[in-house]
Amino acid sequence: MIVRPRKEDHLVIGKYTGKVIVGVGLLMCIPLLTSIAFAEWDTAVDFIVAISACMIFGFGTQALCRTQKDLSWSHGLVVASGSWFFATALGALPALLSGHAGSYLDTLFDVMSGYTTTGLYLLQDLDHVSNGLNMWRHLLTYAGGQGIVVIALTFLFKATAGAYKVYVGEGKDERLLPNVIQTARAIWLVSLTWLGIGTLFLGFRGMQLGQGPVRAFFHGLWVFMGAWSTGGFAPQSYNTFWFHDIGYEVICIVIMIAGSFNFALHWAMWTGKREEIRKNVETISFFVTLSITTLVATFFLAQANIYPDAMSLFRKVFYQLVSGHTTTGFSTIYARSFVTQWGPIGLIVTTVAMAIGASAASTGGGIKGIRMGVISKALVQDVRRMISPESSVIMEKYHHIRDTWLDDGLVRGVMTVTIAYLTLYGIGAIVGAMYGYPLEQAAFEMVSAASNTGLSCGITQPNMPDLLKVVYTLGMWLGRLEFMSVFALIGYGVAVVRGK
Amino acid sequence: MIMRNRFFPSMLLLAALFALAAAPAVAAEAPIPKNNPDSTELVNKMNVPGDITKGLFWNGKTVTFHGEAIGEVMVRDSYAWIHLNDDAYMERNVEEGAKLGGYNSGMAVWISADLTKQIDTYGDYKHEGSIVEIEGVFNAACKEHGGDMDIHATGLRILRAGHVVDDPVQPWKVWLALALIAIAVGLWRLDRVTRNRISPHRGI
Repeated sequence: MIVRPRKEDHLVIGKYTGKVIVGVGLLMCIPLLTSIAFAEWDTAVDFIVAISACMIFGFGTQALCRTQKDLSWSHGLVVASGSWFFATALGALPALLSGHAGSYLDTLFDVMSGYTTTGLYLLQDLDHVSNGLNMWRHLLTYAGGQGIVVIALTFLFKATAGAYKVYVGEGKDERLLPNVIQTARAIWLVSLTWLGIGTLFLGFRGMQLGQGPVRAFFHGLWVFMGAWSTGGFAPQSYNTFWFHDIGYEVICIVIMIAGSFNFALHWAMWTGKREEIRKNVETISFFVTLSITTLVATFFLAQANIYPDAMSLFRKVFYQLVSGHTTTGFSTIYARSFVTQWGPIGLIVTTVAMAIGASAASTGGGIKGIRMGVISKALVQDVRRMISPESSVIMEKYHHIRDTWLDDGLVRGVMTVTIAYLTLYGIGAIVGAMYGYPLEQAAFEMVSAASNTGLSCGITQPNMPDLLKVVYTLGMWLGRLEFMSVFALIGYGVAVVRGK
Repeated sequence: MIMRNRFFPSMLLLAALFALAAAPAVAAEAPIPKNNPDSTELVNKMNVPGDITKGLFWNGKTVTFHGEAIGEVMVRDSYAWIHLNDDAYMERNVEEGAKLGGYNSGMAVWISADLTKQIDTYGDYKHEGSIVEIEGVFNAACKEHGGDMDIHATGLRILRAGHVVDDPVQPWKVWLALALIAIAVGLWRLDRVTRNRISPHRGI
């Protein structure tokens, strides 16, 4: 029997969703100030409209949903996914008002892409958008990488047991510190430190490459946000190809890889446990799968004789694959070059890298390194069991911050999420193929969306079918929140309608 | 009678003089023809469809290409990188009322830094960049630049100077903003009042 949620359930969900949306409104003050600094008055008014809309929603729901009740697990999941839904609907307003979007659906697509750190976009004439709007695009992806709930937890929530449940609902389950608010603040401490250092390096390099100081700073800041959050947005339509520099690419690679690591790993390094990076199952899994995909792609592209020398070949392959594997989505080749130059093998290898993706509890998406590690260990365990005497007890463990022994429950949980990802990838690829796109291209694009990567082989276009836009948007949302929160929101909706 | 006879020829002469004076401006606004090949074709066209081993059709060939100079010039010693967009916004951008016409598209151009001094404006939110025509060799994967797709230009010509773009605040947006601010402030007050009524000591 489905139990219909009671009034008190609606109140607690409304109250906390409202708090998160107030946080989104406050975040918009940064692009508003950017617009004012650059005298972009029309854009500034767009942001005032959007901030006001967020405050109306936030204060309105808080005034209407007055309750002392704390969050339960199901509330936490619904608040997380519901907050993402409303934050997307309201966060889309500045782009819609700018006149650069073909439709409201296009802006929803872009904002969901930003929050989920995907990096696909439908905004048109990007090379002429205002600095304010560019700041908002990149801030979306930077904030989304840490988690918009994490932002609200940091500034607007009291330290309650329920706060942890919203935090988990956003696809993060690492508790770096005993208190979840302290954990959220620790995540910000790590991210802001990297922001300062990364922006400095990229900005300085930009000036060396011939950019003026102001453009070098803002491009450095935005490219850092795109790289660290594994988002993939960039201020020019040429993406990081704009810079034509191996030094800039190396800095981006370092930031992309760092951004794709688990916050728990960052915290371990931060607190002096340096050996963790060498022992952690996720870093091992990442370097193994990155090496294999790079080797395979290099081999086949060398056969195709696309690039003039070995250095150019390696530079292009390694950059695109690090970008794909960390689920960033930066590129130094044209989108269609994946088809016209890399061909089917290059497409498939990049698709595999994107599908595996980054680390759990990071800014990245995809199936995640820890699941690949657990599945590999479980496979080894089964093979060892088969070749060992029946009476022997074969155990496997993996290391992630601490050693954990594999058990059937753990492996089943990992396999469930992995199958959910593969199913999502498959459904999206089939929808793309039904619209007439070649299967390998349709698979590439859907995996890119659902693993929150953002590389494109040219299918994502403002004039692509609306249903495909919806499928990719849902793919980004489900992939980022790792299914459970979105299922909880759907379940909540069903319970409201059909519950007793 | 004589006056009337002279009136029409005088008017015609005057009109002709106006037309002559306006001719350069009219010519300047004449639409710029599409590139052949355009950036999309340079990226996409292959010798043998589906066979990437045959290399790109335009690879190594000399092309004439024009587009809006976008962003900035990045000077590297005696050479420089510029980017030319030959998309729907080459002559007019969205802020000036151009219809949405898809993504930006263009080509990266490696050119003598001295030649780029002719370019007075680079396109961004507040500027429509100069439309520049270059001639050079197209590289599908440039040996000199780490496999980048680019054009190594040997000549440059300005087809149209760039200009400042104005994006005035639209009055309806101001009214909408004022109305929404008023509602937001009202709800904020309501939130504070009802919160204090329930529990005077609770913070956020």
